[in-house]
Amino acid sequence: MKFMKIAAAAATSIALLAGSAQAEDKPVVGLIMKSLANEFFQNMLEGAKEHEKKRGDYELRAVGMQNETDFESQINAVENFITQGVDAIVIAPADSRAMVRPLKRAMEAGIVVINFDVSLDAEAKKQQGVELAFVGPDNRGGAKLAGDALGELLGAGSKVVIIEGNPGADNANERRLGFEASVEDYKLDLVDSRTAHWETEEANTVFSNILTAHPDIQGVMAANDSMAIGVVKALESAGRKDITVVGFDNIPAVGPMIKDGRMLATVDQFGQDMAANSIDLALDVIAGGPQLEGWVKTPIELVTNK
Amino acid sequence: MARQTDVLSESRSNEFSLRALINKAGIGLALLALIIFFSVFTEHFLNANNITNILTQITINLILAVGMTFVILIGGIDLSVGSVMAFAAVVAGKAITLPGFGTTEVILLACLAAITAGFVCGLLNGVISSYWALPSFIITLGMLNIARGAALQVSEAQTIYSFPFAFEEFGSAMIYGIPVVFLVALVLVLLAWFILNRTVFGRLLYGIGNNEEAVRLAGHPVFWYKVAAFTICGLTAGIAAIVYMARLNISSPIAGIGFELNAIAAVIIGGTSLSGGRGSVIGTLIGAFIIGVLANGLILIGLSDFMRQMITGVVIIIAVVLDHYRAKFAAK
Repeated sequence: MKFMKIAAAAATSIALLAGSAQAEDKPVVGLIMKSLANEFFQNMLEGAKEHEKKRGDYELRAVGMQNETDFESQINAVENFITQGVDAIVIAPADSRAMVRPLKRAMEAGIVVINFDVSLDAEAKKQQGVELAFVGPDNRGGAKLAGDALGELLGAGSKVVIIEGNPGADNANERRLGFEASVEDYKLDLVDSRTAHWETEEANTVFSNILTAHPDIQGVMAANDSMAIGVVKALESAGRKDITVVGFDNIPAVGPMIKDGRMLATVDQFGQDMAANSIDLALDVIAGGPQLEGWVKTPIELVTNK
Repeated sequence: MARQTDVLSESRSNEFSLRALINKAGIGLALLALIIFFSVFTEHFLNANNITNILTQITINLILAVGMTFVILIGGIDLSVGSVMAFAAVVAGKAITLPGFGTTEVILLACLAAITAGFVCGLLNGVISSYWALPSFIITLGMLNIARGAALQVSEAQTIYSFPFAFEEFGSAMIYGIPVVFLVALVLVLLAWFILNRTVFGRLLYGIGNNEEAVRLAGHPVFWYKVAAFTICGLTAGIAAIVYMARLNISSPIAGIGFELNAIAAVIIGGTSLSGGRGSVIGTLIGAFIIGVLANGLILIGLSDFMRQMITGVVIIIAVVLDHYRAKFAAK
């Protein structure tokens, strides 16, 4: 008797795994994110879960990765979702080239695919003959907003440095290009540009050393807020109050720093809503709406203490 | 039995011999060469501020490397220290931001929490790898994942911030331009030196690294000695967590990724043998300096990030190859 119960339970859960999309009427959306160890994606997941509860007319299945570059498990996740027969896959690709082929297979299986956060490589898409819109923020534009705020304050000829994200990561690249555009527009003097791999402690160390080499710098553009915190701490221990810092992401920890002027600005790309908004777009397409095209830009906003 | 006394007397007499002096000075000379090189080729290297910076920057790695020295001396390895540090920092971060307590209370509570977290992780590493005689490489690799997962779980992947002002003060305090956190690390080095050289426990750790069976046959509780070495390593990860928090004023669950490799590099560059039984914590101190001076100096010179990474790798390999010849030379 007990055995039968277990068997029944097992059968039910297998059925659930195999695709409850047919069993229930609600469409199933598979959400694939990058590292959940990253605050940004963690918040995004929370936002998506709330969104599922609020809308109540779809079923969310979310997966995250071990780390930022773990694209193999993203490929596996796509394949699993194809097997499960989900109605839509909403994905923040860990690699803009490697993910094109598995997503093409998903589209061929009739699944609505929404690419958000990081855009798939245009060249790779063309090669595979894939037409896919991108839903996401303009990282370069966002970085330029922060860079411009710095440039406006400091004026032409001011010496600045850039603290970059992981070399090779698309968003790191875009943000660096955005900062560099500000440097050009405001005729700033870029004295050094180095990576601190998105991390506070490394940014603290790297920036202290840059400051020793170039004591006359006036501004710092950090590609994320975690690194900006490291820079601010380095400035505090060096006793320098004359150097202006801007960051990116608007994580809660920089709130107090913006408020008391230790940081000039950061950029909010509303990560919490980004997955939820992409799911909305996916559900519209499932409901028979038109396919998305080109770049659906999501909001970004400069955050200052004004 | 005879072999074991051999081991003990050999390493003790070595300590005062001329050869051992050359042996130890070898790595010190390498550091000196680096310092001279950077002093000549960069403008700011010998600035008081830059030296303060270097001392601050090597502190966490030095503390981790001191604990790592114990584990490597017994022929083990601990890959979990970076993750354990993050876990300890997150637990302490939760404690220090508890509402409704006084400043002193939360700081003490946080320190206690960090040290306990490190202690427990180290103890588990030691007990599991020693009881079943399993390679510590794989057990601590498991702990690397457990501690990292626990850090993310406890913090819900959020950076913890807003620590009491007094705690920040400690992180940036100086005595005659020397960061207090570095002095903490230095005290740990001296303490470790005393334990390793002046106590029976310490000498037996060398013995275990050279010939575990001999020490066992001599009737010593090898199991507990090995557990103690791993526990010390865990403890230093807890202490490193406190320094991390005081210095940066945040607890991040993704802190310390790859720190274990830097700590191992400091120990090995410092002349401690990866197969155990030979080495010293003073060497580790110099090894940590070499890594720190290199990281600092190469940025001052203006070398690109990628070149910097390559050169650091080259230096690690050169140090170990040189050490191979030094060991041969010393054994003659």
